[in-house]
Amino acid sequence: MGKHSAVATVVYLLCLATSAACAGLLFRAWRRSHTRLLLWTALSFGFLTLNNLFLVADKILFPEIYLTPLRQASAALALVVLLYGFIWESER
Amino acid sequence: MTEGPELFGYINGFLSAGFVVSAAFFIKFWRRTGERLFFAFACAFLLLGIAQPLPMLLGELGEQRPEIYLIRLAAFILIILAVLAKNVGRR
Repeated sequence: MGKHSAVATVVYLLCLATSAACAGLLFRAWRRSHTRLLLWTALSFGFLTLNNLFLVADKILFPEIYLTPLRQASAALALVVLLYGFIWESER
Repeated sequence: MTEGPELFGYINGFLSAGFVVSAAFFIKFWRRTGERLFFAFACAFLLLGIAQPLPMLLGELGEQRPEIYLIRLAAFILIILAVLAKNVGRR
């Protein structure tokens, strides 16, 4: 499992769990209100959840594999989706 | 093949700036609507923007201190609490 402590494992797993919970709550809020900004935010948190999944994989599961580009790409997608949503919704 | 430190730092800076710009948008929405949920989102994204470059800036020290990811965790918890509080307020 690599050199990380139990504390580190818990922190990384909590990041994954909480970001997934954020994505779930935001998707549910979007389904209730159909506010498009909520959809974009929910999608963004979906990508942040993926980012945290790669964090767990990078630090705990597969420390020997270089996963930094996947972590960075998923975070970048999260931001691109969110900023696109902000700019698109501001024009409405 | 790993990316060089310059590229790694550039991408980390881009991501950090993206989080901070997102926080600024949420502040704008909060001021426009008065919706406190947006203020919570702004604070959370600011935390994510601060947390993003820390492992890189702290270098080897960052590798030994995974607790710095607690800042990222705090951001997600803040959003969960804000959304739940909004749902409770609606009822």
